[in-house]
Order: sequence, then C-alpha cells, then structure tokens
Amino acid sequence: MKDRGIWRGAILGFFLLYMIIPLIATAIFSVSTRWDHTILPEGLTMEWWTAVTTRRAFALTLKNSMVIAFWTVLLSVILVTPTAYWAHLRVPRAKPWMELMTILPFGIPGVILALALIRFYSTVPLPIINKPAILIAACMVISLPFMYRPVVNALEAIDIRTLTEAGLSLGASWPQILLKIIIPNIFPGIINGSLLVFTTVFAEFTLSNLLLGSRFKTFPIYLVEFTRFDGRQASALAVISFTVAWVASLILLRLVRGRTHIEEAVGAR
Amino acid sequence: MADSVKKTQSTSSRPGFAWLGLLPFFAFGFAFEIIPILRLVRSAFSDSQGGLTIENFSRVMTPLVTQSFGNSFKLSGLTALIGMILGTMVAYAIIHTRNKSVRESVTALADVTTNFGGAPLAFAFIITLGSTGIITLVLKEFFGISLYPNFRIYSISGLVIAYLYFQIPLMLLIMIPSLLGLRTEWQEAASNLGASNLQYWRQIAFPILAPSLIGGFILLFANSFGAYATAWTLTGPEIGLVPIQIAALIRGEVQLDPEAADALASLSLVVMALSVIGYQLAIRRARRFQR
Repeated sequence: MKDRGIWRGAILGFFLLYMIIPLIATAIFSVSTRWDHTILPEGLTMEWWTAVTTRRAFALTLKNSMVIAFWTVLLSVILVTPTAYWAHLRVPRAKPWMELMTILPFGIPGVILALALIRFYSTVPLPIINKPAILIAACMVISLPFMYRPVVNALEAIDIRTLTEAGLSLGASWPQILLKIIIPNIFPGIINGSLLVFTTVFAEFTLSNLLLGSRFKTFPIYLVEFTRFDGRQASALAVISFTVAWVASLILLRLVRGRTHIEEAVGAR
Repeated sequence: MADSVKKTQSTSSRPGFAWLGLLPFFAFGFAFEIIPILRLVRSAFSDSQGGLTIENFSRVMTPLVTQSFGNSFKLSGLTALIGMILGTMVAYAIIHTRNKSVRESVTALADVTTNFGGAPLAFAFIITLGSTGIITLVLKEFFGISLYPNFRIYSISGLVIAYLYFQIPLMLLIMIPSLLGLRTEWQEAASNLGASNLQYWRQIAFPILAPSLIGGFILLFANSFGAYATAWTLTGPEIGLVPIQIAALIRGEVQLDPEAADALASLSLVVMALSVIGYQLAIRRARRFQR
C-alpha cells in the first residue's frame, strides 16, 4: 500500500514539473540579462519588458486582439442566446440541428476554415476578405461550441416555459422577457461562455495569420515575429499571453466549480 | 413527449413561423461554416472548366505531401497514445490522492493548461528544451547528458514533447469522470466472488473504461492532427505536416494552385470527420457508466 502511495506521488510530481517548468523558465528568461550557458541567469533586468512594451506595435497588436475578442464575444452572445432560448421554448425539434452546427467546428481545423473562407469570399460580392470582419466571423465559428454549451446548460437548469408564460400573462413584451427575465437567469452561463470565447480568440494565431496576416496584426502574430527576432522580448510577450489565459481560467474555475468541460478544452492550437 | 408537443402549440399560434426566429443563427452557420466548406470540397473535385475530376488529388500528392501525411499520422498517433497512457495514469493518481488540496490544485492546473497552447507554449519549450534551454543545460551540467545534436526541439520529436503539454491535461479531464465512475463496490464484489486484482482490471474495469480511453485517444488524435500554431512557431514553414502544407498553399509560398489546396484540405477533413464520428460514438458508450 505504501509503495502505491510513492508511485502516485512520483507520477504527480513529474506531471507538475513538466507542466510548470516551461512556464517558470519563460518568466525568468524574460527578466534575465543573459541565460544561455549557465544554470542560473547571470543577472536580472527589466530591460526586455520595457523594450517590448514601449514599442508602438505592442499597444497596437494588443488593441487589435482585444477588438477582435470583444466583437466576437458580443456578436456570439447576440447570435447564440436569443436563438438558443427560442429553440428551447418554441422549436425543440431544431435543437439537434443547432447542436450539430456547434459541434462541427471541432472537426474543422483552423487552416481549413481559413482556406474555405478565403476561397468562398473571393468569389461572392461581399467585401469582407482581407478585412477584420472575416476574422471576427471565423472566430465566431470556432467559438460557437464554447458559447452554445454553457448557455444551453444554463437554459436547461431553469424552467424557461413557466418564466416566459408568467411574463406574457403579466403583459411583458418579448424583448422585455428576454432582457429582464431570461438573460438575468442564465447570466452565469453567458459569462462562462464569454470567457471561454475570449481566451480562445485572444490566443488565436492560425486564423489571424492566414486570414489577415500583416494587414491586421494581432498579439499572437506579434509574439511569433519576436520569437524569430528577439527571444527575450518574445518571452515577455509569452508571459503576458499565459497571464491572460490564466486569469480567465481562474475566473471560470470560480464560476463552474467542480465541473470539467472536455469539449471546451479543445481550442486554439 | 406528446404532452410537450401540446404545450408547444399552446404558446405558439403558427409552429412553422417559429422557425423564422432561428433564421439568423442558421444563416450565419451556413454563410461562414457549411457553404464555404462544401464549396471547398466541391472545388477539390473540379477541373478548371468546373467539370468533375479527381486530378487535383493526384496532383497534390507530391512526395512532400505524402510524407506530410505520414508525419502528421505519426505525430498525432504518438502524442495521442502517450497522452492517453500518461493522462490516465495522472488521473488515477489524482483521484486516489487523499490530500484534497493536492487533488484540487492539480485538477485546476490541468484545467488552466489545456488553455495554454499555440505560439506562447511553443516558445516556452524553446526556452526549456532548446539548444541553450534550461533543461538542456541542467542535463548537461549535472547528468552529463547531451541532448543536442541528436534531439532537436525544432523537429517532430520536439513537437511530440510540446504537444503532450496540452494532450496530457486533456486526457486527464476525460478520464477523471470515468475513473470516478468505477465504484469501489464493484471491486469488492469481484474480490468477494474470488476474482484476483488482475481479473478485476481485465474483466470489469477495463471494459468499462475502454470507451473513454478510445474516445480520449480519438479526441487527442484529432486535436493534434489539425494543430498549426504550435508546429509553425517551433519548426517554421518547411516542416512536413499536413496543416503546415495547407497553410503554405494558402500563403502562396509554394505555388498558386487553389484547387490543389482544396484537395489537400478535403483529405484532412475526411480524417477529422472520421475522428469526430468515432469520438461521439465512443463518448456515448462511455457516458452510460458515468451517472
């Protein structure tokens, strides 16, 4: 019995080291003067952080990523929430089709979605190619599962039919029912979905690189450029990325304590 | 069922009309997901006049692309297999740890790290296991092991290590509910009936866990088969992997041959579609034991 305890400890120990060392190494690397032939850094400095964050491109790419993430979250909420509610209340037969639509993006790698969108929108007269709009649309597609699942789970947890009928019989209009009754009741689900969408989109490299590239540089593109040009400044950017993902995940963990979402873990790779 | 249908009709005057409310959602899905993908597959089978052909497929199957499929299958299969085994072992270790705070913090770490991927992760591994990385230095200094030049983080074997960083936590999240579904009563019942520990694992636990293990393997496989950002940051545009080759065709780094790109994308869509179907089937079986 004691043997097995040791094994468990060893497995967990190795796992923790493997998960944590790259993160700590990156953080230390970003504040080291030089760290390429000694076990410990030769000295500490904030030089790389200042250098990388005072560049104009830093603020610009950070802003671009925020803008894309903001619009994706907002439009996803607007697209998914009323539809999910309506399907739930009035057209339950449509639910399997919505489910299918939101599962499909798991099977479509970013490179293929980007290719399909470029090919299709270069033939139709909708001028969104090479514009941020196409990136937002693509990000909305890949984040459909992240938005849809939590919202539907929240809807299933409350009795929307009774709430709606109560609202209607008291003379509330449909927008009033949606905004004042349904949304406040499923708000944790919406926030949960929004955070998942935000982290996915903020870290999204494949779609932004292939759809817009240098026309509209996002934060991950800026980071990748630096990995080829200055490692120490790139490591500072990587620390920022990890922090954003980490903070969002911590908030999520608070919200959905004790539940794990496997599908939601498959994201931007 | 009949009751709910009746109820639906009582709040809705015209049932067909209610579908209109779903129009924006489905319009969006068709415009940015279904139609572009179908058009891509259609175009993969089209010649320049729009006639039906499979010529694009034979043209795209250059030695580099064939090799890329081999590499992608190898990389995805290997990281899925290792991820499945290690993820299950860690999951088992987690749920049998009596210390509650250890259990919770490791699960939280897995939850957070599945969100770490792509470029920052790739770069973290360059710092850790690159030619002057910290682990490379520690191995050389304290253990006399020289990783380089036999191992390179900027290669397929490097990608295996980097991909496992998100594969293991993902497997762990899949296996924890399944392992928790194994009731201690079953093990007790088996041993009361005279079964050995090995018999319990082979004849009871493993058949129950099998759908989760298979589902997990498939999900991990698909997860790495489509991965682009990590591979691109670590290895650059030359490496022979399917997503990298598709991206190269999009960016026109190779040649401007859109139908060939469509053909290549369609081939990998087949792999992904089979994976998604396999995963759904496996997970449906697995869920029977989780409630």
